[in-house]
Amino acid sequence: MFQQHKKPSSMNSHESHRPMCVQGDSGLVLTTDPKPRLRWTVELHERFVDAVTQLGGPDKATPKTIMRVMGVKGLTLYHLKSHLQKFRLGKQPHKEFNDHSIKDHASPLDLQRNSASSSGIIGRSMNDNNYHMVDAIRMQMEVQRRLHEQLEVQKHLQLRIEAQGKYMQSILEKACQTLAGENNMAAAAGSYKGNIGNNQGVNPADMGNLKDFNSPLNFPSFQDLNIYGSGDHLDQLQHNSLDRPPLDHHSFMPNNDSINCMGSKKRPSPYNNGNSSGKSPLIWSDDLRLQDLGTAASCLGPQDDHQIQIAPPSIERGTDQIESISDIYESKPMIQGDEKKFEAGNKLEKPSPRRAAMGSERMNPMINAGVRQGRNSPFG
Amino acid sequence: MTELLMLSSAMELELELDLDLDLSGCSTETTSTTNTAISADQWYDWCPVVDWEALAPTDQLAGGGDFHELIESMMEDDGDMDSPSPPIEEASNSCYTTTSSQSTDVMMLEEGAASNGEDSKGLRLVHLLMAAAEALTGANKSRDLARVILVRLKELVSPTDGTNMERLAAYFTEALQGLLEGAGGVNNSKHLIGNGNGSHRDHGHHPTDVIAAFQLLQDMSPYVKFGHFTANQAILEAVAHDRRIHIVDYDIMEGIQWASLMQALVSRKDGPPTPHLRITALSRGGCGRRSIGTVQETGRRLTAFASSIGQPFSFHQCRLDSDETFRPSVLKLVKGEALVINCMLNLPHFSYRSPDSISSFLSGAKTLNPRLVTLVEEEVRPAGDGGFVARFMDSLYHYSAVYDSLEAGFPMQSRARALVERVFLGPRIAGTLSRIYRAHGEVGCSWWEWLGAVGFKPMPVSFANHCQAKLLLGLFNDGYRVEEVANHRLVLGWKSRCLLSASIWTSPPESDFIN
Repeated sequence: MFQQHKKPSSMNSHESHRPMCVQGDSGLVLTTDPKPRLRWTVELHERFVDAVTQLGGPDKATPKTIMRVMGVKGLTLYHLKSHLQKFRLGKQPHKEFNDHSIKDHASPLDLQRNSASSSGIIGRSMNDNNYHMVDAIRMQMEVQRRLHEQLEVQKHLQLRIEAQGKYMQSILEKACQTLAGENNMAAAAGSYKGNIGNNQGVNPADMGNLKDFNSPLNFPSFQDLNIYGSGDHLDQLQHNSLDRPPLDHHSFMPNNDSINCMGSKKRPSPYNNGNSSGKSPLIWSDDLRLQDLGTAASCLGPQDDHQIQIAPPSIERGTDQIESISDIYESKPMIQGDEKKFEAGNKLEKPSPRRAAMGSERMNPMINAGVRQGRNSPFG
Repeated sequence: MTELLMLSSAMELELELDLDLDLSGCSTETTSTTNTAISADQWYDWCPVVDWEALAPTDQLAGGGDFHELIESMMEDDGDMDSPSPPIEEASNSCYTTTSSQSTDVMMLEEGAASNGEDSKGLRLVHLLMAAAEALTGANKSRDLARVILVRLKELVSPTDGTNMERLAAYFTEALQGLLEGAGGVNNSKHLIGNGNGSHRDHGHHPTDVIAAFQLLQDMSPYVKFGHFTANQAILEAVAHDRRIHIVDYDIMEGIQWASLMQALVSRKDGPPTPHLRITALSRGGCGRRSIGTVQETGRRLTAFASSIGQPFSFHQCRLDSDETFRPSVLKLVKGEALVINCMLNLPHFSYRSPDSISSFLSGAKTLNPRLVTLVEEEVRPAGDGGFVARFMDSLYHYSAVYDSLEAGFPMQSRARALVERVFLGPRIAGTLSRIYRAHGEVGCSWWEWLGAVGFKPMPVSFANHCQAKLLLGLFNDGYRVEEVANHRLVLGWKSRCLLSASIWTSPPESDFIN
């Protein structure tokens, strides 16, 4: 089919005193140079692409297999090798190629009528076209480069946050050990033991505090990620990473569960889920190493139960902490029921983040006004 | 819309003027002590009119219906509120005529009963604080008046309960109280100087509290990570082809900045294999988070971390003299290593450093021709010549932005925030106020200006670095923003207020060939 279709036009070009190209038996167009080069016409390229896809993509196909599948006489390994190389490098070359070819064959009749003059025009227009195209391509490549860089940065940022989180964890664990030591020394050991293995809180005051510290840290970052992602090019990526808590292991961790998953549990890569092939090569190659690290870090630490003790700030340690100022700061122990009510109250007061944001927005200008007053006062 | 705003501000102005006239008798001459006594009496007259307890946020839920009346009665009170500090009265004439952003506030005040209560209380607190600052330092100094105002303020606020503004006001009240007491005698002011040096941080709080608050701060806000990551990215770009990197860290604290740098060094794909990283931490005498012991502990932790990810690493200490003078000759330098000076100044969780110490370090560092100087500091506003009150209000504005940003991060978690505020922000507020109080109008400049002035060259912020900062902020509330200023500074802000500034510097070119 390819050859049949090709014949008339190539015959034509052969006739029209153009010594540069020579049509071979198989329909191949070769230059008459001492070193004949192959001209990759649209049809030929299409066949090539067909063969490549048939063979499972540009990375799997080899010149040899392509040659076998295409079955075009005169096509050498040498031709295929260089063309495959270009093809692998990216879509750009043959996009350009296609565009040219479309121009080439846009009106075959015209072409046939006066190929000599038209080819000159076409040559010029192709040059113009090239010029703009190159510009457009350059711009597009710039955009792609930036986007790519942004993705890289995103990936790096994630890894950096993780690394910092892990390091922070080792600090926290050390602090827990110290605190656990102190607690064991103290007479408070009784109430401390009561906490072991019972997350629901023997000591309601402690739990109140725990709740306070615990709950926020696992959620807001997701929401923010979501909000952020939806307005950006990185949408897709962000949504993928939403499947997993991206910041979980840098969150505060009096919670036993979060500790477990921090170090030892294998996390799925956020970029694996439903990812298109274009993105995967960028991503996550160093993850394993970090996870090993996490495991090591958590082995260093004390038993998980100790973690609980980090949260309650001053209450347990009692009076030795209270100084002249701190009696004002002392937090009131609440029983758990109260705590819930309190939070519900907060929610009612500020039903949505939007509302909260508005509220906080207001405080600043208020003071700003104050600043002006203050500034003006000496001159007033 | 604008007309409406103008109208409302004009009305406000009229109101203020009326009040001025009414009160002109007592507002013109509040200098003497007799007048102070009068003011104090008035004080108690105003307050019983409004049941302040009813304004606490929890109670608002129960009795929302009565609000409008309450607010109206408060609005009537508002003028009286200002009378003890005449300069404010006078200033208010011009106050509402300046920009439309202020008019918006006025609009907001007139909308929505529920928020109105909070706002006018907040406004009241601001006025009271300003009055106290004015009484403490203004032209008509009156300690007694200041004391009375502070007593009143203390009744209104608590650092653990209430709105952001109330908690913030509590710390400012506390700080002003410290100034009042400290200013009484020369001896008393010693503890303020102690504050200035940051020793309060280490004594007042249990180490576990400090760590917990540090962790919370990191989770709530991008401040810490912004500073660390921006500096690290600049370092990574500057040493991309080096086999040996030497970082001199001015204030290493727990060393958390370097974990992410090591991770990045280990995983970099192009360039030579993982370079050797050497960190020299400055250490000081004394105890607490920056003592030799703490720095040693940090060194051990960093070494363990480095070996766990396969980063070649060594750690050194460079002990400073007791007056924090930095002698560059004490540093052990090896030929062929890329020298980086890292200077994290006054991040929210850092203690205050005296300018002498910083300039000693930076000018010492200059003689070493470092490849790179990374600087992250609090963004300082040119304070003008408004004196203490103006700078007081500016820092009130600054910290209110910090408080707001933390609240936006975790709106429901008032107690977690209270811990961060107690451990980090409260002491900082006290330190800041005591410094501007003692500075007597001297205006400190930004360190980036200083670096430029002594001959360091600014380096452009890379696209990747800017991008990283933006992505980082994307993980937090959208009130944060980052801006590139003059192509060599990244400034992190909350809403319209700039809070942190990161800049990158290098030695001037003529010294390059020596290296």
